[in-house]
Amino acid sequence: MRGPDPEPVAGPAPRTIEGASLIGQRISKLDAPDKASGRARYIHDLNLPGQLHAKIRRSDRLHARIVSIDTSRAAALPGVHVILTAQDIPQRGLGVNKDNPALKGEKVRSLRDEIAAVAAETPEIAAAAARLIEVQYEDLPAITDAAAARAPGAPLLHDNKPGNLALTFDYEHGDVALGERESDFVVEDTFRLHYVTHCCMGVSGMIAEFQPNGRLLLYSNTQVPFLHKREFAEILEMDPGDIRIIQPPIGGGFGSKLDIYPFEPICVFLARAARRPVKLVYTREEEFIASPTRQPVILTLRSGCRKDGTLTFRTCTTLHDNGAYTSWGATTPFVMMQTISSLYRLPHCRYHTDAVYTNNPYAGSFRGYGNLQATFAVEQHMDRLAEAAGMDPLSFRLKNAQDPGETSLAGLHFRTCGLKDCLRTAAERSEFPVRHRRAAAARNDGSRVKRGVGMASMLHVGGGAKIYPSDGCGTILKLDDFGRVTVMTGASEIGQGSETVIAQLVCEELGLPMSAVTVVNNDTDITPWDVGVHASRTTFIAGNAAIGAARLAREKILRAAARLAKSDVDSLDLHAGNIIRKNDGEIVMPFAKLLRALHFSEQADLVMTSFYYEPPSKHQDKTFKGDVSAAYAWATQVIEVEVDTDTGMVRLLKVTAAHDVGRVLNRLGIEGQIEGGIVMGQGYAVTEDLVIENGVCRNPAFRDYKLVTAPEIPEMDISFIETMDGEGPQGAKGVGEAPAICVAAAVANAIYNATGVRICALPYTPERVYRALHAAGAG
Amino acid sequence: MNSPAAYLVPASVDEAAGALSRGNATVLAGGTDLMPQANQGVRVFRHTLININRIAELKAVSRSGDWLRIGALVSVTDLLQNSTLRGICPMLAETADHFASDQIRNAATVGGNLCNASPAGDLSPPLLALDASVEMACHRDGRLQRRSLPLDQFFLGPRRTALAENELLTAVQIPLPPPRHYGRFFKLGIRPALDIAIISVALAGVLENRKLNRVRVAFGAVAPTPLRARRAEALLEGRILDEETIRAAAQAAREEVTPITDVRASAWYRSEMVSSMMRRLLHEAAGA
Repeated sequence: MRGPDPEPVAGPAPRTIEGASLIGQRISKLDAPDKASGRARYIHDLNLPGQLHAKIRRSDRLHARIVSIDTSRAAALPGVHVILTAQDIPQRGLGVNKDNPALKGEKVRSLRDEIAAVAAETPEIAAAAARLIEVQYEDLPAITDAAAARAPGAPLLHDNKPGNLALTFDYEHGDVALGERESDFVVEDTFRLHYVTHCCMGVSGMIAEFQPNGRLLLYSNTQVPFLHKREFAEILEMDPGDIRIIQPPIGGGFGSKLDIYPFEPICVFLARAARRPVKLVYTREEEFIASPTRQPVILTLRSGCRKDGTLTFRTCTTLHDNGAYTSWGATTPFVMMQTISSLYRLPHCRYHTDAVYTNNPYAGSFRGYGNLQATFAVEQHMDRLAEAAGMDPLSFRLKNAQDPGETSLAGLHFRTCGLKDCLRTAAERSEFPVRHRRAAAARNDGSRVKRGVGMASMLHVGGGAKIYPSDGCGTILKLDDFGRVTVMTGASEIGQGSETVIAQLVCEELGLPMSAVTVVNNDTDITPWDVGVHASRTTFIAGNAAIGAARLAREKILRAAARLAKSDVDSLDLHAGNIIRKNDGEIVMPFAKLLRALHFSEQADLVMTSFYYEPPSKHQDKTFKGDVSAAYAWATQVIEVEVDTDTGMVRLLKVTAAHDVGRVLNRLGIEGQIEGGIVMGQGYAVTEDLVIENGVCRNPAFRDYKLVTAPEIPEMDISFIETMDGEGPQGAKGVGEAPAICVAAAVANAIYNATGVRICALPYTPERVYRALHAAGAG
Repeated sequence: MNSPAAYLVPASVDEAAGALSRGNATVLAGGTDLMPQANQGVRVFRHTLININRIAELKAVSRSGDWLRIGALVSVTDLLQNSTLRGICPMLAETADHFASDQIRNAATVGGNLCNASPAGDLSPPLLALDASVEMACHRDGRLQRRSLPLDQFFLGPRRTALAENELLTAVQIPLPPPRHYGRFFKLGIRPALDIAIISVALAGVLENRKLNRVRVAFGAVAPTPLRARRAEALLEGRILDEETIRAAAQAAREEVTPITDVRASAWYRSEMVSSMMRRLLHEAAGA
């Protein structure tokens, strides 16, 4: 571990004109009026002339050889145009392990498996035809338990994957045996993390159209349009240059639209065969059954500390249920390892994951990317070790928390680090120490309803994540004769507010009101490359790209203005739509007038700039070490709960959150994102449970999949720790995933504080909590 | 979802009963159960869909003699907002406050909730505890006939009732509660509203000097039908609500229910909650 940097990195210089800055203001999202009033046109609302509707016929067996598929009755249905089965399309696997063919021909491995697809005149005809397809199976023994999948002699899901092993991950620093010898206290637990799913209000969907010139136009909800061009090209055996992706407003992503899934190429193959546009939109039930889940994990953690509370080691072993095919869920160890190795100073660490194939649904990426699971374990162990060492949870964490400038033994370099401020702020604002002591003392007072507080912190990438060859984003800026700006950015808007923050950052540089900017962010033929919406990266990466392009425009405008006004460039500034003199604020000329003067002159010129931002982070080496992000986000949340010991019902009363966000850019936006993240974390902790029994989803509807609704949302007190990150746009860090990450861990610690019972499995439904209290004799 | 071949909108009970007497019909009231079931394909529309929503009589709430009459089309929102109902049966308002969501409460009807005969139907336990009867109408011998049946004889099984194919449920009748009538409803779910009960329980009786008389205890979601816990009622009748009585009644209730394990809860947890919630409601009554 390196010591603190000699000099803290300074934030950007403040703007010269007092009160002019947009940074930190409360700015309404640009897309809010359309979305709130129902006028946004989502993919569901789009219909192309001549369009057909698609329906997928899925497996109704867990694991079976396909003996025959008879489509004759379906094909005879009036209105049916095309029916495809595996034999009609190239057999290329999708996903991380390329193990998931879009249509399954030889065998099915889970209930969601795609066997055939229909394109028909109406959705109803397509659905009726899909039902008429007759499939004969020869059942194979199924495995729906990850531990059983590893057992010797277990049936294999994929012939080329011995032991049903999909992926493994190993990480190590220091010497955990030595760490354990140096420990005065050691704790070990096995944590069981369940299935949940994203529940985007906008379900998965696509419209595919081949244009007369042979190019493919996709209307898609994807979070990664530029990566998808390449992936589609491979599957479709086309030139990626011939693929254009347009994203209509996206009704939520949260990671669910980060991988390419079978329905997407199926839609394109149908369009190609039908020579008509084809629309494929999931039903809500299909969305539950056939879209990815959060990765379920069985995680065993062993941790130690010295008498004085210094952490000595952690060993972590996880079993990831990979499901039948490999999507991003299996790669969540990338992020889990960071929390295991680097949340707090840790001299010795070892980590291992086996991701094994089963006949269950497969997991994708989901806001937090494994970090909810890892933090749930680590932060409960922080409390257990603190108790063992006779320390309070706050002091114990402060003792092990990093300072700015440190580099963790995994190579994460924390140029800014607000962890200690987050801990202190959240503890102080929630009166954590006194409430924690008081609740522990009142545990056995015989009252029916117990109260408790729990604390948890988190570490997550906040400056992109260099996973792909580039982690960059491009921006093109175009200014017109009327002083309006069009920002073309590669960064997609999926409801997170990136469009607004990008416009805001450009306006800040150019001294323009928000109304002067239009953001174009949804057409791969127009916008420059971006790696995609993931890893809490968009504000950071796309923000820096937008600032880069805006600064080039600003320079050009000021140089031209200086020439025209015959004054020095350094004496001029841009403010409120004008070029002004810096020293007295006097207007030199309106912005639009200058642009016209530049355009309609003998050396006619337009202001158009472009900038590509690549963060200074590094790819991790083969041992998963290296400074993978340009900045790191930190947070501490203190959660107060009430536990009804008669029913096991857990109610969240208050969340006190302190987040190191670098700097607040749009206060309204960041509050919304943190509040929304906390509610998502609350659902994970308390109410949401996608029940998979023997490979079957038992609750594929909102009736029995319980999202948090308004009455259960707790009071929230959110503090922003502004560490002014030197690399961040105006000092900001990414915050998209952070607020969801430590909620479950804090709730776990709060339930323990209230009842003295520690529950290592989620979610904390009344029955689970009641059972645990009952078993402990505390019920 | 299939489509009905004919659609009728009768203006009176007589017309509706006439249409029902021709057979092969499905009745549409609020549609909050019927439509999702039809969309899922678990319920098939019969030949004729009879929309009863324009029958004014079915929307009325009235008092006559010792009876309160609640029309079958009275909505769950009405239970919350109608001052006559709130005054006479506050327990129904308490129940309505845990019923689904605002939008569903606006559409869902008292009659529909009973005819759906879900073991977990929210209105069944409080209406059982209020000694409600249901009024049913049909055409017999060429004219409209009405009959009344105690609610606890109405439920025959999950989604099965004593309503004949040619009958329309027209009203719920409740004997006017006597002075010092006490009624409480408790619904256990993961969320405070917009949820299907894990269990629900209603307790009613005349409360005086920590004693309950004319005790009624009814449970939902713990048996094939909503049910009265008659042994628990007998143990409570006229006794002081002391610890021993409460424990005995809670134990009796637990033995009277036959819950199942499903996606919402296990049978064991439901049984535990029956006695636990019974104790809670009785302790509250003892302290009231």
